[in-house]
Amino acid sequence: MLLRALYLSAIWFALSLFATLIMGSRLRRSDTTLSLLWLAGMILVGNLIALLTFGRILEIFGLALTAFVFGLFWIARFRDWNAAGQVTWTMTLMTTGLFIIYTFLLTAFSPLNPLSFIFALLFFFLEAITLLLALAHMHESLDVVCRMRWHRLLDKLEPVPDYQPMVSLQVPAYNEPVEVVQKTLNSLAGLNYQNYEVLVVDNNTPLEETWRPLEEICRKLGPNFHCLHLDKWPGYKSGALNFAVTQTDPRAEIIGIIDSDYQVDPDFLRELVPAFADPQVAFVQTPQDYSDFKGDIFSESTYRGYKYFFEVSMPSRNERNAIIFAGTMGLIRKSVLEEIGGWDEWCITEDAEASLRILKLGYQSLYINRPFGSGLMPFNFEGLKKQRFRWCFGGIQILKKHWEALMPWAHWVDPDNKLTLAQRYYYLVGGLGWFSDVFNLLFALFLVLGAVFSIFSSPVQIRPLTNTILVIPTVFLSLHILRFLWVLRNRLRVSLGMAAATMYNFFSLGWAVTLACIQGLVQREGVFLRTPKSKTSSRTWHAIHVTKWETAISLVCILTGLLAFGANQNWRTFSLCVLLIWQGSLYFAAPIYSLLSLGREAALGAHVTEQGKPVMEQRAARWVVAASMLLMAAFSLITFLPSPTELPGYARFLPVDVSPTGLAGRERESASPPTATITVESANCRARPRGNARVVTILYSRQQVEIVGRNADLINPWWHVKIPNRSGRCWLWGMTARMTGNVEEIPVIE
Amino acid sequence: MKGVWEFSGHLMQKELQTDISRLLDEARQFARQGKREKAYQSSLKATSVAPDVPLAWYLRAQTAPSPEEQLMCLSRAYSLNPAFPEAKNELRTAVQALLKQEPFLAYVQETEEFYQVRSGLDLLINIPKNRTFEKPYLQRAPGPAKPAFRWLSISLLALFLGGVGAVLLAPFTAFQVLRLQAASPSRGDRTRLWIVFILSVIIWLAAIPIGWLLLIRFYPG
Repeated sequence: MLLRALYLSAIWFALSLFATLIMGSRLRRSDTTLSLLWLAGMILVGNLIALLTFGRILEIFGLALTAFVFGLFWIARFRDWNAAGQVTWTMTLMTTGLFIIYTFLLTAFSPLNPLSFIFALLFFFLEAITLLLALAHMHESLDVVCRMRWHRLLDKLEPVPDYQPMVSLQVPAYNEPVEVVQKTLNSLAGLNYQNYEVLVVDNNTPLEETWRPLEEICRKLGPNFHCLHLDKWPGYKSGALNFAVTQTDPRAEIIGIIDSDYQVDPDFLRELVPAFADPQVAFVQTPQDYSDFKGDIFSESTYRGYKYFFEVSMPSRNERNAIIFAGTMGLIRKSVLEEIGGWDEWCITEDAEASLRILKLGYQSLYINRPFGSGLMPFNFEGLKKQRFRWCFGGIQILKKHWEALMPWAHWVDPDNKLTLAQRYYYLVGGLGWFSDVFNLLFALFLVLGAVFSIFSSPVQIRPLTNTILVIPTVFLSLHILRFLWVLRNRLRVSLGMAAATMYNFFSLGWAVTLACIQGLVQREGVFLRTPKSKTSSRTWHAIHVTKWETAISLVCILTGLLAFGANQNWRTFSLCVLLIWQGSLYFAAPIYSLLSLGREAALGAHVTEQGKPVMEQRAARWVVAASMLLMAAFSLITFLPSPTELPGYARFLPVDVSPTGLAGRERESASPPTATITVESANCRARPRGNARVVTILYSRQQVEIVGRNADLINPWWHVKIPNRSGRCWLWGMTARMTGNVEEIPVIE
Repeated sequence: MKGVWEFSGHLMQKELQTDISRLLDEARQFARQGKREKAYQSSLKATSVAPDVPLAWYLRAQTAPSPEEQLMCLSRAYSLNPAFPEAKNELRTAVQALLKQEPFLAYVQETEEFYQVRSGLDLLINIPKNRTFEKPYLQRAPGPAKPAFRWLSISLLALFLGGVGAVLLAPFTAFQVLRLQAASPSRGDRTRLWIVFILSVIIWLAAIPIGWLLLIRFYPG
C-alpha cells in the first residue's frame, strides 16, 4: 500500500512538474476554480496511469481523495500562486513525505546487524534533511515563477516631494588598484542627487603609494569627497566601516555601501532614497550587476549564477520582508545602524548579519529589482572559489550566532525578537542550504563505498538496494535538475545550454562550500581559503592545480562507478554507475571551469577579500580525506559483526518491493515462469507459510528461485518455491524477495 | 592627629576647587572679551592644576593656538566625560579638519565609547563611536542554559546513532534542566530551559522505538 502510494504520488509529482515546466510561467491567472480543476486533472491522469499499470481501484481512489484534500489546503495557503505551482508543490510535498516514511520503514525493518543499522539510520537522517532542503529550493522556485500577485516587489519608487535627506556613501577599499577606485569615484561624482557625501575608507593597505593617490582624487572631486586611510585597523572591512560611521556628516540620515570596483548609475540615490520616507524602512537593497561577463562560458555562467540570487532568492524573500542586506548597492538608515551597534566585526559577511539584527527589531526592508550599477567579477576560478568560501563561511557564522533567534520558540525566549515565522524560515534555510554541498559529498562517499563493496563482492550493506531505492531518488534527482534548469531559463532568460552551464558552475564550487561549512563549524574566528600553490609558472598547470581535490574526487567517483559496473553487470550496478558518473561530473566541472577561466585572466578582475587567518585547502582537504577513511574503516567493521542468518521476525514490517516492470504491468506479458530473487542478505525458506515454521533451507542475497505457488494473501505474500540445486520445495516470505512474472498465473496453495 | 590631617586635606581640596573655579571663570570671561591669549593662559593653568576636569580641557581647546593642540584638548575632554556634548561635536569637526590635512589614522585601542587613534601628525585622539554597544560574539559569557543545551546536543547525536544512548541521556538532560531552573535569574533563561526540557522529552520518546530497533538486532530471534 505504502509503496503503491509512493509510486502513484511520484507519478503525480512528475506529471505536475512537467506541466509546470511547460505551462507554469505562461499561466497568468490565479483562480481557485482553475486550481481545483488543475488538481483534479493531474490526479485523474495519474490515476489513469496507475489503473493501467498496477491498478487497485479502491486504493487509488483513497489516495486520490487524500491528495485532493491535501491539495485544497495548499491552494488555500498559496492563493497568490497559479494552479501549476500549487499542484506541483502539493505533489512534491506528498512524494517527499511518503519517500521519507518508506526509507524509515526500510531502515527500521531491514535485516541488518547492529552496526549496519546505525549507519543506515545515519544515512536516513542525512537523506531526510537533504530532501527537506530540496523542498525549500522547490518552494523558492515555484514562489517566483508561479507567483501571480506580488505584494512588495517594486522596480521603481514613487518620488517623495521635498524629501532629500543627506546620504553618506562609503567606499571601503583594501589594496585596490587606483584606476579601479577612480572609476567608481567618478561615477559617484555624477550622481543626480544634491545632498550626499562620499567617504573612501582605505583599510590596512600596506603600501602608501597604493592608497595615497586616493586622497588626491577625492580632493579633485570636490568638498563632499573625503578620504581616510586606517592603519593596523582591526575588524577588517566591518571594522573600517564602523569607524567610517563616526566620520559621516552628522546631518547624514542614510548610509550607502559601494564596493570600490562599482560603476554606479546616476539615478541610484534619486530613485532609492524615497524609500526612507517611511520611517519603518531600515534598508533597501538592489541587485548587484557585473559588466565583464561576456566572451566566455566561465564568465557568463558565473554572472548568471550571481543573478540567480537576485532574480530568484531575493524576490521570494522580499515578499516576506526577509531579504538580506548584501552590502554594495544598498542603503541603510544610519540611526538603525547605530541602534544595532554597527557592523559585526567578527562576521565576515557583516552586511547579511546586520540585516538579520535589523529585522529582529521589527524594521522593514525593501528590495528594488533593478540594477543601479555594475562591478567586476573574480577574474578566475580560483578567485570565485575563494569568494564562495567566504560567503559560505559567513553564512555559517550567522547561523552559529543567531540560530536560537531563528527557532520556532524564539519569541518565547526573547520577546524583543520581532522576526516573523517567514523571516526565521528564510534565514534558517539560507544558512542550512549551504550544507547541501556537504551532504552531496557524503552521498558521493556512500555511493563510492557501495561501488567498492560491489567490486569486491563484499556482503557489507547498510540498506538493501530495493528497486524503489534505486528508482525514486533517481526520479527526484532528475526532476529537481529539470526544475533548476527551468528556473534558470525562466528567470534569467538564458538558453538551455547556458542554464546547464550555470548549474554546473554552481556545483563546481561544491568542494569549496563543503570546506567552508566544516571550517565555519570548527573555527572561532573568520578565515579565508588559501588554495594550493603550484611551483610551475604555467598558467594552465596552475588552473588544474587549484582544483586538484575536485579533480581527484570526480575521478574516484567515475572510476569506481565504471569498475563496479564492469565487475558485475546488472541494472543495479548500472544505476550505481550512472549516479557516480553524475556525482563525478559535478566535481569535474571545477577543473573545466578553472581552465575556461584562463581566457579571462588577462582582463582586469575584482579583488577577492582575504580576511582572517588563512585556511590551507591542502590541510583542510587532508582532514576530510582522513574522516572519509575513518568512515570507510567503520564500514568495514560491519563484516566482523554477525549478520542475521535467518529472517528476523521484525522483517515482516518491511515494505514490499515492486520492480519497475512490475509497476508498469509489463510482466503480465512475460512468458517465462515467475521467479523470486532474494533481496535481503539471507532469507529462511520454511516448511509452511508462517514466520515460526521450521526452516528448510537458507536462500542468499540475489539468489533466484522459481515460484510454483503462493498463499491467498497478496498483501502479505508467501511464495512456494523450488529449492535450487536439490529437490524439494519450501515457503519464502514475499517481503524478502523481488517477484518477477505474473502473480495471477501462480496457483494459490491452500 | 588623623582628624587634623583630614581637616587640612579637606581645606586644601576646597581651596583647590575655588582656584579651579576661579581660573575657569577667568578663562571664560577673557574669551568672551576676545582676550584669547589671557583666556588660553588661564585654561592652561586650570588643566595643569586639575588635569581631570573636562571643562578645563574644553576651555583650553577654545583658545588653543594650534589645531593640533585644540584636537588634543578636545580629545582629552571627551575621554574624561564621554557625555560632554559640546566636546563631542567640536571634536568631530576638529578631526575632520585634521583628516582633510592628513587622512592617515592608526589604531591604538578602543573602548565601548570611543576609538583611540594616532594621527599622521602623531597626535593621540579619542574619537566617539556614537552608537549602542553590542558585546562581541566571542566575548559573550555562556548563559546558564548552556550545559543543558550541551546535553541536549549529545542526546540528539545519540538518537542519530541508534537511539539507545538517547534513552539514557535525554532524562539526564531533563534532570540538568530541573537543576539549572532554580539557578536561572532571567525569564528568558527559564523559558529556554523549559524548551530544552520539552525537546529532551521528544528525543526520549523518539529514542525508545529507535533504540528498540537497534536492540532487537542483537537478538534477531
